[in-house]
Amino acid sequence: MSRLARHGWCVATALVVPWLVLAAPAPLKLAGIPPAWSVLWLLPWALADGPLSGALAGVGLGLLLDALHPGPITQIPVLALLGWWWGRLGRQGPPIERSFSLGLLALLGAALLGGSLILQSRLLGPWPLEPALHTWLAQTLLTALLAPLLCSLQLLLWRQQIQGGRG
Amino acid sequence: MQAGRWLRLPALGAMVQAWPWALLVLLLLAVRLSKGAGFTDAYALLSRPFWPGSAQGEWVRSAQGLNDQTRLRQLDADNRRLRSLLGLQASGGRELAAAVISRQAGGWWQQLVIGRGELQGLRPGMAVTAPGGLIGRVASVTPTTASVTLLTDPGSRVGVWVGRVQRHGLLTGIGTSRPLLRFLEKDPGVRPGDVVVTSPASTLVPPNLTVGVIQSVDDRATPATEAVVQLSAPVEAVDWVQVRLP
Repeated sequence: MSRLARHGWCVATALVVPWLVLAAPAPLKLAGIPPAWSVLWLLPWALADGPLSGALAGVGLGLLLDALHPGPITQIPVLALLGWWWGRLGRQGPPIERSFSLGLLALLGAALLGGSLILQSRLLGPWPLEPALHTWLAQTLLTALLAPLLCSLQLLLWRQQIQGGRG
Repeated sequence: MQAGRWLRLPALGAMVQAWPWALLVLLLLAVRLSKGAGFTDAYALLSRPFWPGSAQGEWVRSAQGLNDQTRLRQLDADNRRLRSLLGLQASGGRELAAAVISRQAGGWWQQLVIGRGELQGLRPGMAVTAPGGLIGRVASVTPTTASVTLLTDPGSRVGVWVGRVQRHGLLTGIGTSRPLLRFLEKDPGVRPGDVVVTSPASTLVPPNLTVGVIQSVDDRATPATEAVVQLSAPVEAVDWVQVRLP
């Protein structure tokens, strides 16, 4: 079982993600585009808790977020994949905690998430590429900029919880 | 002898004395011939402090507004009666005010979440308007909230009508703040500034709701002319919307 999931409140923090998506705080937007909040929550969770927990968290978060939007486009596959990948990275080698590394991983995650949304939209019907690229670029950059601050704090908190659980 | 005295020219001294009166007569003649130029202008200048002020203007505007509202009600009632005779979708119906509790006008999805839902009678497909005109349609409902897909969302398609040239088109969201209007024919004759309303023949939304104004026209688009539409309702600014109930 996931070590973080033993603490109910840790799982409950995932609810902040849909809340932030709905609230869409204006100061945290770039050119009217919000960051990928799901990436900013999932990255530290998966790094701290492993691939299986990361993938399951990705699926759960994807289910929550898909419920908030109309249409058949889904975020579940990419979030599950990212959770698995980041979980494996967290288990291999020295722990990832440098700001640059977190920012880079968040950038790649947001880029993959946006890319999958563009791909699905294009497959489903004619969707102009220019506004989609604008959204993709703004969201990827903003997510990468926020990641060093937000993800490092969460990573610290999750690692403290895991070590506390061991002790 | 008496007649001869009358025929004599007036004395030069008398003429010199009378010149101011002659000047006055000339001035009056000038005023008469110029239809009061100078005179009315001077009157306007002097009487400016006593002209009707903003209060009078408000009264006139208020009376005009009342007159317009009365006419609008009358025309609305006529329109509803005629549409019912023709079996077309009604333009009127009840309106329900709802607060905007979440706004995602940028990003992958362009939608609002409003604080009224199934319990208040909302159903998917209902038209949602804001001050200025139509902004979207209800996409899904929960017991107390509803998700509104904006006209700018890439999944949005609404039939519209340009009244000046009497042409139909399909308003399609493209993910920017200005949706694209695709016409059914090559040369519809529209131009920037034309007002776009919902189609009178629409079965999805009430007819004749203001949608926006054509901002630019692309005659070279294939297969038919396309136009960019500036929506008349400011989606970024509205805090309350109206849902059109059947």
